[in-house]
Amino acid sequence: MSGILSKRDKLFGIVIGVWLLGTAAAVFALPPLEWFGYKGRILFFHIPMAWIAVLTFLMGAWWSFAYLRSKRLEQFHLSSLSNKVGLVFSLLATGSGAIYAKLTWGAFWNWDVRQTTIFILLLIYTAYIVLGYSIEDEEKRGLISSVYSLFAFVTVPFLIFIIPRIPSLKSTLHPQRFSMDAKMGLVLTAALLGITAFYIWILRYGAARQRVKTAEQAQLIQKDIESIGLGAEGLESAGLDAEANQNGEETV
Amino acid sequence: MQHKPSLFPDLIVSVGAVLRKDALSELRSKYAFSTLIVFALTCLSAISMSIAGGELTPHVQSVFLWVVLFFSAMAGLGRAFVQEQDAGTLLTLKVYTPPQAVYFGKIIFNVLLLVSLSVLVLFLFIVFFDISVSDWVALIGALWLGSIGLSIVATMTAAMAAQAQGRSSLFTILTFPIILPEFLNAIETTRTVLAGEAVDWTQFVFLGGYALVALIAGSVLFDYLWVE
Repeated sequence: MSGILSKRDKLFGIVIGVWLLGTAAAVFALPPLEWFGYKGRILFFHIPMAWIAVLTFLMGAWWSFAYLRSKRLEQFHLSSLSNKVGLVFSLLATGSGAIYAKLTWGAFWNWDVRQTTIFILLLIYTAYIVLGYSIEDEEKRGLISSVYSLFAFVTVPFLIFIIPRIPSLKSTLHPQRFSMDAKMGLVLTAALLGITAFYIWILRYGAARQRVKTAEQAQLIQKDIESIGLGAEGLESAGLDAEANQNGEETV
Repeated sequence: MQHKPSLFPDLIVSVGAVLRKDALSELRSKYAFSTLIVFALTCLSAISMSIAGGELTPHVQSVFLWVVLFFSAMAGLGRAFVQEQDAGTLLTLKVYTPPQAVYFGKIIFNVLLLVSLSVLVLFLFIVFFDISVSDWVALIGALWLGSIGLSIVATMTAAMAAQAQGRSSLFTILTFPIILPEFLNAIETTRTVLAGEAVDWTQFVFLGGYALVALIAGSVLFDYLWVE
């Protein structure tokens, strides 16, 4: 996929790659954290993943909202991409957290508050993706997926109030605060910045790919129209641009 | 269209009409309610027979009660919009009825279905599991508020699932994560009541509050779903 990205985006991608590699190297150069020990290095992975998951889902909900208002498909593409990326990062955050939990507390999973919350987020966004797959028409898919993600977005924060009231879910093993020296803070900030830039890059890549795809589709439609011997203007003025493809196939 | 001036605002009249239409067609076909009842009985007997008189803690009893209710709701409530599609009445409904009337009409109908089912399931639970209830108001409160929340969310997700393929399984997948806060809270409240502990009244505020938020959010979003 070399033709998709502009020169600037390619350069941007390389800079981010180098930045993230540098941050990873810096993590291993750090002395072990105070009471986390060497395994505490996983935090420099875990925290950025968790942060980016929150950011992607927020942005996804925002673009869903924007799509419902404007009905511009590129906003749905952004929200869908953002939510999918969020799902991957949540899985990474959950996985890295579970490994750390196993090393420290002896069990991968113990329904800690945040484990419960992220588990529900995973359920919601997998349901979101399945819903998307089950609807063929793109505008309809955008509409229903956006409504679903916004509906979940509004009702799920109740968990914040509900979870502390349920004794079996109450406890948290997540450290509420821990001290870091300046060097560690710097590395963590670098990791957070790097991963955020990476997310922006993914969005730009996704948008560019979508543009190529849309252009290809438009070309196909154009070909179909030509093959059945109708002027493009006539069809467009009749508002048939979306259905033109199907109609063309049927007639041919 | 001319119609007689009425005591109620138009919206309420339309909601009543949708509700009446659904109730009438349900009275004729008896499909939804019979599915709900038989499904609940199946779940209940699956649990009750396999345990056959064994002791259950209040926590497990409460979990079973709500799992039975959840899956019965998933079996019975998903038809709200699919039925319109199958009968070919969806378009007519879209043309003649404001979206909010459909939304509230369908919700009230589903609430009535699930609340009556919950009474039946509770009765069978008490019989089969030999439960002694000390605080009826709290138990019925938790049961009904939870059922109302479940019906509201299920109506919204049914409207979404109706537009997709693989509706019935998708309906459950879509509903579960959204209903979870209400589900967990309802289980916890029911557990407290069944264990004979004093119930914290703020639990009910959260049960009702969740249902209300879902109702409002759904009402705003339903317009987008209905008018494509």
